[in-house]
Amino acid sequence: MKDTTKAHFAISVVCFILGMLLVAQFRSVQISGGATISLQRAQELSTQLKTVTEERDMYKKELLELRNRLAEYENAASKTSSLTEAMKKELEKVRMLAGLTAGTGQGVIITLDDSNLPRQPGEDPNLFLIHDEDLLKVINELFAAGAEAISVNGQRIITNSEIRCVGPTIIINSVKLAPPFIIQAIGDPDILETSLKMRGGVIESLQVFGIQINIKKQDKIDMPAYTGPIQFKYFEPVKAGEM
Amino acid sequence: MMIYPFIGFALGLLVGFKLPISVPVIYAPYVSISILAALDSVLGGIKAMEEDNFDTSIFVSGFFINTLMAGFLAYFGDRLGIQLYLAAIFAFGVRIFQNLAIIRRSIIKRLFSKNN
Repeated sequence: MKDTTKAHFAISVVCFILGMLLVAQFRSVQISGGATISLQRAQELSTQLKTVTEERDMYKKELLELRNRLAEYENAASKTSSLTEAMKKELEKVRMLAGLTAGTGQGVIITLDDSNLPRQPGEDPNLFLIHDEDLLKVINELFAAGAEAISVNGQRIITNSEIRCVGPTIIINSVKLAPPFIIQAIGDPDILETSLKMRGGVIESLQVFGIQINIKKQDKIDMPAYTGPIQFKYFEPVKAGEM
Repeated sequence: MMIYPFIGFALGLLVGFKLPISVPVIYAPYVSISILAALDSVLGGIKAMEEDNFDTSIFVSGFFINTLMAGFLAYFGDRLGIQLYLAAIFAFGVRIFQNLAIIRRSIIKRLFSKNN
C-alpha cells in the first residue's frame, strides 16, 4: 500500500514538472513565433534605412560637387574664349556618351512580359519568367545592332549599369524593376528590329516559352538621362604616355 | 486511483501559467525533445503501474535522465550537424504509442472484468 502511494506521488510530481515544462515551451514558442518575424522585419528596415541614408549622403555630396562644377564653368564662361567653347563641346559629347543627358531620336520600343502560356504541372515555372539574362541578351543585341542609347523602364543603361536578378524583380542602376519591361532603344529602327528578329535570335529563343514580346518602331523616343550618382572610389585616370 | 497524475499535471499547468517561466528561444527545440522524453517516461510509469512492477527510483531516475539526455542529444546533434533529435523523436514516439496501447488494453481488461 505504501508502495503505491509512493508511486502515485512520484508520478504526480513528474506530471507536475511535465506540465510546467509544457507551459514554458508553449510560451516560448509563442514568443519566438512573433519575435522572429519582428526581428527579421527590424533587420530589414534597418538595412533599408542604412541604404537610404547612404544614398542621401551620396546625393548630397554629388549635389555639392555639381554646384562647385557649375560655378567653375560659369567662371570659365565669363572669360569666353575659343578654348572654353571647345571644351564645352567636348564636355557635351562626353556627357552624351556617359548617358548623362536626356535625349530624343528614332528607334524601337520593345515590351517584354512574362509568359501567359498555360503551364503544365511539373514544368519549371522559371522558364516562363523573364530573367536578367534575357534582358541582357536583348540589350546586348540592340547595342550590337548600333543602338546609341538604351533604357529599361526609365533606367538608362550606362557603362556600369548592372542587370541582375533580385528575387522576383530585376535590379538596374540599383532600382528594382518588375515586368513588363519596356526597353527603349535609339538607333536605326529597321536594323534594331531585324537584329532582334533574326532567325535563331533572341526573340525566337524567348518565344519558345511564350514570353510576350512586342516591338514597335518609333519616330521619336524620349530617352531619360542617367539620374543615379557616379562615383569613382578606386579608379584613377592615368595621363597618356605614363603607362 | 489513476487521478493523481492528472491532478499533478493540471497543477503543473496552473503553476506554469501563473509563474512567468519561459524557455530561451535558442533552447526551445531542445526542450521540445525533452518534453517528448518526459511524456514517454510518464506513460512508461503508468504502464508499469498497470503491470504492477512499478519502481519509484527507476521511474524518477528514468524521467530525469531521459529528459536531460534527449535535450542534450538534440543539442549535440545540432552542433555536429546531424539531426540526432530525429532519433529521439522516433524512439520516444514509438514508445509512447506502445505504452499507450498497453495501458489502454489493461484498462479495458480491468473494466470488462469488473462488469462481468
